Amino acid sequence: MIELFRYRDLVRALVVRDLKVRYRRSTIGFLWTMLQPMFTMLVLTLVFSALFRFTLPNYPVYALAGIMFWNFFSQSVTTAMNSLRGNAQLLTKIPVPKAVFPVATVIAGVINLLFAMVPLFAILLITGHPIRPAVLFLPVAILIAALFTLGAGLVLSPMAVFFYDTVEMVTVVLTLLMYMTPVFYPMDIVPAKYLWAVRFNPLRSVMEVFRDPIYFGKIPPLPHLAVALGVAAAALVVGIIAFRRSSDRIPFYV
Amino acid sequence: MTSHGEVIELQDVSLCYRLAKQKIPSLKEYAIHFVKGSLAYEKLWALKGVSLSVTDGETVGIVGRNGAGKSTLLKVISGVLKPTKGRLWRRGWVAPILELGTGFDFELTGYENVYLNALLLGRQRKEIDERLDEIVAFSGLDDFIRSPIRNYSSGMLARLGFAIATAWKPDVLILDEVLAVGDARFLKRCEQRIEEFRQAGTTILIVSHDSEAVRKNCRRCLWLERGELRADGPTDEVLARYREFSEGNGTRPGV
Repeated sequence: MIELFRYRDLVRALVVRDLKVRYRRSTIGFLWTMLQPMFTMLVLTLVFSALFRFTLPNYPVYALAGIMFWNFFSQSVTTAMNSLRGNAQLLTKIPVPKAVFPVATVIAGVINLLFAMVPLFAILLITGHPIRPAVLFLPVAILIAALFTLGAGLVLSPMAVFFYDTVEMVTVVLTLLMYMTPVFYPMDIVPAKYLWAVRFNPLRSVMEVFRDPIYFGKIPPLPHLAVALGVAAAALVVGIIAFRRSSDRIPFYV
Repeated sequence: MTSHGEVIELQDVSLCYRLAKQKIPSLKEYAIHFVKGSLAYEKLWALKGVSLSVTDGETVGIVGRNGAGKSTLLKVISGVLKPTKGRLWRRGWVAPILELGTGFDFELTGYENVYLNALLLGRQRKEIDERLDEIVAFSGLDDFIRSPIRNYSSGMLARLGFAIATAWKPDVLILDEVLAVGDARFLKRCEQRIEEFRQAGTTILIVSHDSEAVRKNCRRCLWLERGELRADGPTDEVLARYREFSEGNGTRPGV
């Protein structure tokens, strides 16, 4: 990790490249980062707002905050997972601390999330949703989400090098996880039989810490916050251990 | 042990590639094999108990047949591959040129790649700012430096790669047959630069199939055969033994 600090200029360059390459070929560039969740929100609102009218006033804000979190998590985990495979050639030729690649992708993901905050606040204003001082808590919430995501990325990126079908598997698991996380539905529609699956889903805690300040205008209650922090710290520790144990073997497999 | 200006020291270094006998590309199959204890690997020892030390300012050639472990040895010394057994010790900044232009991003311009590549080699942004003009001048790319490198010829890529990797005087320079590309004029400039480094005290390791080049540049030579260090000494002697061995080998059928 000290090495990472020495290579901080490289991490920054990789983040910039990530953002540039992502948008270079599209004409409206990073506007897509803002538009894509808005369109998803519109669709979800058309489909679900009548259904959830009583439990979730101003459903678009609830859905948009959820989608933004979910997009950040799923996109960052996926790009982090592929980041070592994508640089396979390089890893066998240049001695470089391998963690720079997953770290840079997660940072790029955070920057994308920040771009997506702009239309979120526009929607808040348009729908007349109260913006409370609790939104100042969002940087902490984003940091927790980023640490959790980095932990997952550190576990998955060497796995993707060792086993080709990690990538396919993760795609399936992500879909499953999305339905296990109340991204666009309220908790109380979950049948009692399955409630445990949603309740003990660590992603839910991390997401709600992010959505509470936006949708409910409150700082998450301390127990929730403690769980989210614990989950993120645990993910990060597991990620670092897994990565350190496997990183020397990576150049042998690519 | 490291008192007399050694920059590289290898102690009984072995390196094993594990080649899966059956291809196990999936986690499921891996789990099955793991449980059954039948994870069969073909072990390929690319280096076997190699010990050597290189002192400050030496230029050392490395010869051997294909697959003898020359490139693996350079990768171990560069720090790309960690030895399976044994110990490696080295000092100073190592510039490994195992292949010109690794780490280039073809979507980015020449300029952007100068930064990306030099950062990958462990330089800081400020250092690159200072040397940028010099790097571009040495590469001779002129205005091309502003266009995406996917438009470059292979010679241009090699020139840019070499210019970046040698923009700073390294303590150890590692060359893996990279000078086989590029035209005569550029080759001459590369050799000039290497000569400058040598005079300034850089330690240089060269893998080459060209015995003449080794004889000309290196006073000391290593000969690797099947992962073992067969000879280490004055270039003329080592090359003579290597030639004797190759010729002898060529006439013996089945070897």
